Parts: sequence; C-alpha cells; structure tokens
Amino acid sequence: MNRSARPLGGLLLVSTLVAMPFALWSALLYAPTEQTMGAVQRIFYFHVPAAVVAYLAVAILLGSSIVYLYKRDLAWDDLSKAATEVCLFFCTLVLITGPIWAKPAWGTWWTWEARLISTLVLEILLVAALMVRRYADNRDLGARLAAILGITIAADVYVVHKAVEWWRGMHPQVFRAGEKESLEPKMRLALLVCMLATTLLCMLLIWLRYRTARIETRTEGLRLRDRDEGDDR
Amino acid sequence: MRRVGFLRATWIVAWKDLQLEWRTFDVLSSSVVFSVVVLLVFQFAMGGGPGRQLAAEALVPGVLWLAIGFSSVGGIARSMDAERRGDTLAGLFRAPIDRAAIYTGKLIGNAVRLALLELILVPLAVVFFNAAPGQAWWELVFVLALCSFGLCALGTLFSAIVSRVGRGEALLSTLLLPAASPLLLAGVTMTGALFRGETLASVGRWLGLATGFGLLYFFVALATFEFVLEE
Repeated sequence: MNRSARPLGGLLLVSTLVAMPFALWSALLYAPTEQTMGAVQRIFYFHVPAAVVAYLAVAILLGSSIVYLYKRDLAWDDLSKAATEVCLFFCTLVLITGPIWAKPAWGTWWTWEARLISTLVLEILLVAALMVRRYADNRDLGARLAAILGITIAADVYVVHKAVEWWRGMHPQVFRAGEKESLEPKMRLALLVCMLATTLLCMLLIWLRYRTARIETRTEGLRLRDRDEGDDR
Repeated sequence: MRRVGFLRATWIVAWKDLQLEWRTFDVLSSSVVFSVVVLLVFQFAMGGGPGRQLAAEALVPGVLWLAIGFSSVGGIARSMDAERRGDTLAGLFRAPIDRAAIYTGKLIGNAVRLALLELILVPLAVVFFNAAPGQAWWELVFVLALCSFGLCALGTLFSAIVSRVGRGEALLSTLLLPAASPLLLAGVTMTGALFRGETLASVGRWLGLATGFGLLYFFVALATFEFVLEE
C-alpha cells in the first residue's frame, strides 16, 4: 500500500464514524413509526442498505476478478478477496435481519421467495469461493480459481434472482418503477441517510481488508523469498 | 508437432473420455445405481402410505431432477477426478491443442454420460411412479437435453476448479447445485408442465431461461477454462 492512499482511508474512517450515529438516530428516532407493522419496521433501515451494499460488493468482486485475470497483479486479487469477505458479511446481515422482520410482518421466519433465495445462494457460493481459495496449494492458483468463481458468481446471482422471481413472489416491492412517492418523506430521508452510512461502512471495511490483505501478500512474498535463499545456500 | 484443429481436438478429448467410460463403466454404473436409490428413497419419503399420497405428476418432476442433479454431481466430479489421479490433466494441458477444446471435449463426455443415465432413469421413473408425459415424449427429451447441457456446461468448469484444489464431490455439490438452481427450477417446471399435459409454450420463458443459462456458462467457461488448467 503506497502512502498516497492513506488519506483516503482516513477520510473513509472519519466519515463513517460521523455518518453512523446519524444513521442510528434517523432510523430509530427521526423516522415515524410505521402504522401497521410498528417499531419492527425500523429494521428496514438496516436491512435494505445491507442488501444494496452486498450487491455493490458483488460488482467490485466481478470487476477485480476480471482485471486480475488480465493483469495478474496480486493487488487485484487482494481486492477481490476483500470484496468477497465483506460481501459475505453483509449477506449474513441481510439473512439475519430479514427473518427478524419477516416473523412479525409476514407471520413466518422464512419464505421461499426470489430475493431470499438469491441471497442465500449468494451466501453459499461466497463461502464455497473462500473455501476454494483456502484449499489451493499456492497463492497464484487460489487467486486464479477465485477470480473465475467471482465472475461466475456475479453472473449467477442475477439469473437465480430472475428464476425464483418467476417461480413465486412475495417480497415487498419497496421501489416500484414510476411510483416514487410510495414512501413517506421522513422515512425516505431516514433510509437515504442509512444507505449512505452503510455504503461508507462497506467501503471502509473493503479498504481495511484490502490493506491487511496487501500486508499478508507482502509478508508471504518475503517468507517465500527467504526460504528460496535458504535453499540456495 | 502439428497443431490439431478445434473440432478435431474436441472430438479426441470427448472420445477418450467415452472410451474410458466404455471400458470401465466407472461413472455410469455408480450413478445409475445411485439414482435408482434416490427414486426409492423419495418414494418412501413422499409417495406411499394411505392418506399422504402425492399425485404422480406432482411427484415425478421433482424426483427426476433430484436424481439427475445429484448423480450429475457425482459423475462429473468422478470424471475429472480420474484425470487428477493419473495426473493426466497436466498432459492434456501440454498437448498442442486449444485449451477451450479440452473443455468442450470434457463437456461432451459428461453430457453423453448424463444422457445415457437419463435414458435409463426416465423410463424407470415412469414405471415406478406410474406417470407418463402423454404424447409429449419428444418435448420431454428436448427439455432434458436442454437442462442437462446447462448443468454439464457449468459442472465441467466447476469440476476442473474443484479438482485443481484436490477436493471432490462435497465441494462440487456446494458450488454446482446452488449455482445451477435456476436450471433445476426450469427443469422441474417444464417437466411438470409436460406431465400435466400442458404444452411447452405455456412455460416458454423457462425455456428461454434454460437456453440462456446454458449458453452463458458455456461461453464463460470457454473464456476462463485455460486459466483453470494453467500451471
């Protein structure tokens, strides 16, 4: 990691620290209580942004995987590793907050619906991709296989979503096309603040993980060089 | 050494795989027995017993695709595992042929094996569960072929990845079955429609999905397969 990137991390850290209490305040105090669902609806302010940034992380995973395969620079692999892990984190968050909300709202913890299944499939595939990376004998092989899986996973998530949507549908449509005023203005503002804060958090986490991954790669490189020199003597 | 053309190389790799299968019946024998066991267990779990009888046309598509899905994982994993055990993948990689031809050849080998399995499995399911797709046998063959192609297209790529890290069926099923879930849904829906006596046109978009899925992963795999084999 070069020094010029440091201010970016600091900026991300500070803005996340500022935005987070704001998001909590707007979700828990500022936004009005929903009439039919009550307080439990407030999970929505964390559930939806977590889902959105999970897909953002998938986009980063796709991009860094493709670039890695062409450039073969391990820095891109470090980025895709960071994106995979952070995406897994937010996916888990979505899968935990979803049922907590669904039980009072739908009367059931889980239902086999498009977005639920595609998130679950994404979670399983991300875990499998991390497993492949870990099982690989050497770094380059793991990076290459993970990049191929990254591309496949990103393509797959969309198809899975479409398929299950046709199969059955129940998830509330928060943003219908051409119907922008479906959400109360205060709620929309709260959601917007939470969305911003979660995006900042996601970027910060990816950046931090990327930095540690860079350091890991460098120490691994030093260790290998040391061993090779030891063999030469 | 003379470079062999793409189609010829594909044919040689596929022929090699099928010849190996013909001589040992390694994959087919185990996957046929396995899928018969799936039919049996499914009948115990969902089919029989007074008062909890499911209609055959509701049961058969699910059972069929369950058996196909699971035994394809086993078959595809084993065919790639044979290469790993003999360390012949490295030999294939050094052969003066297009890397994508290795993929296509293995894909054809896997697809033919799966087709042979289905040739045995589908009549068995019809006999066991006493259900038939009416006059729509050709449509059924088409649906089976389409979805099996997609399953093999993705499965062949994944099996190469899995064999490179030295893991077998367990990791392949973790990867392949969730990733191929749209295809399984398409297969179950279309087969169900045929068994209920409906036309394929009524499930047209699933037809599109299965075709698109197969082609998408065929081309993704063609583009990325050489990175998997790379030393």
